[in-house]
Amino acid sequence: MKCDWVRQNILFYVYNEVEDDARYEVEQHLARCPECATELKAARKFHATLSETVAEPTPNLLAASRMRLQEALETTQQGGLWHRLILEPMTWLRQIRMSPALAAVIFIVGFGGGIGATYNFLAGHSGSYTATAYPAELTSGSSGNSAQPVDSSAITGIRSVTQEPGSNQVSIKYDTVLTQEAQGSLNDQRIQQLLLFAARNNYNSGVRMDSVDLLTQAPDDASVREALMYALQNDSNPGVRLKALDGLSGFVRQDPRVRDGILRALISDANSGVRMQALRLVEPMKTDSNVRSVLTRLAQTDQNVSIRSQARTMLAQMPEMD
Amino acid sequence: MPADSYAIANPVGEISRPRQTAHSSGNRNPTLYSDMRGSLAAQGNRIDDTSLIREAQQGNRAAFEVLVRHYDQSVLRLALHLTGSESDAQDVYQEAFLKAYKNLGSFRFECSFYTWIYRIVTNLCLDHLRKRNVRKEDAPVAVDASGEEYSRLEQFADARSGANPERDLMRRELGRKIGAALSRLTPRERMVFELKHYHGLKLRTVGEMLNTTEETAKNTLFRATQKLRGALAEMR
Repeated sequence: MKCDWVRQNILFYVYNEVEDDARYEVEQHLARCPECATELKAARKFHATLSETVAEPTPNLLAASRMRLQEALETTQQGGLWHRLILEPMTWLRQIRMSPALAAVIFIVGFGGGIGATYNFLAGHSGSYTATAYPAELTSGSSGNSAQPVDSSAITGIRSVTQEPGSNQVSIKYDTVLTQEAQGSLNDQRIQQLLLFAARNNYNSGVRMDSVDLLTQAPDDASVREALMYALQNDSNPGVRLKALDGLSGFVRQDPRVRDGILRALISDANSGVRMQALRLVEPMKTDSNVRSVLTRLAQTDQNVSIRSQARTMLAQMPEMD
Repeated sequence: MPADSYAIANPVGEISRPRQTAHSSGNRNPTLYSDMRGSLAAQGNRIDDTSLIREAQQGNRAAFEVLVRHYDQSVLRLALHLTGSESDAQDVYQEAFLKAYKNLGSFRFECSFYTWIYRIVTNLCLDHLRKRNVRKEDAPVAVDASGEEYSRLEQFADARSGANPERDLMRRELGRKIGAALSRLTPRERMVFELKHYHGLKLRTVGEMLNTTEETAKNTLFRATQKLRGALAEMR
């Protein structure tokens, strides 16, 4: 009787789907009953066999799917938005038709709002002209305002990024409607935000280079890693990509996304120096099956002779896998 | 708001690293680890996702793209396993995320986003499997240019083979047998087995995704494994 019950539950035991007390009972029984223990062995073997040949999407397939989706998203409208844009005004219009007084109120509010907005716009415009005469400078520590985050939508560009030698003090000149300067330590949230902005958006590759370089010194932060991944994938300057790669080198082991990013760079980066460095970084991870498949591909198709031979050497040194 | 202001705490792609799970099969309980990891990652994401979903609902596409990155590896893997073809998997991936994007406004946080997106994907995959069954293409077999039949699943035999052709051959043979055994399951059995075995999800979550109870999912898993064991024993 007990054996029947255990055998019916052995599958769920292997899949970790039995309650704690039932698990205890199963384990007690298995320790005493050799037949059921054999059954457990068979169930585990079956489980392991099915796990052995698993089809994995290649990094290429994933990258291609993402690109295709991004393209499609550009031309797709959200249903929710349509509902808001079309259905809600329709309800309003229906009410307006039924109530002339409400229509008059909306008209007056709209008219008044329009005049108010124009007035504010003109006032704001003249204000900004006077403000340009006084470029602002922001320092961390001495004033309380450094903790306030920078409004990144107001930033039009970053002029320069400099670090004081021998310290972690950073000075950043950036343009909003007017040019401003921010100073602070690398741990300053505001400084980090500006660096993240500069690494992605600046038109001057020198500034992007400095920012990425400084970000690599910054603490282990998810958004920093994200910015480095972005620079590695999208920056037009190979020097910046190389710096980003250096910054990511510490995470190759622990973060599979970083590893995938580096593999993508290995396959698609146009610069052989970047590819060479990426190859060096994935070397310790060459037993990973994704890394293997990329290495196999590189060994056959890379344009650069030394990358091809390096990849071949790495594949040849690889230990046998189960 | 720039996309870099979204911190990515725990990409769910983590769950779908079967290589590590498979390697840990020498463990006392191989699935325990992947289950725990799956649920922890899912919890971390749930907190993280809420703000992203709200942003995306306001029409912020960058936020939606970050959300996609949290889940797309697992989605693509599921689609690839169930359709057995890279191009079909890509189609399911594309259709699922576009559907999610269009209908995001109707997401009311009644379940996790993970469950919601998986529900969309599983429905698309079930449709695909049913269509294939109707077309009598039971086994995932295709015909190549020279008229030879080959298993579509074999195309994806992983790159672990290395330089041992004999082992490579055995692995491929085993892959073919497993593929054939899996194709004998009903679409629903196949789905439950896939979500439990290869994605390490809890049966409660599987039930939630397939609009059924945990108990039904449990029975379906039992039936599926009995069939698979039978089919694999026959082939030996």
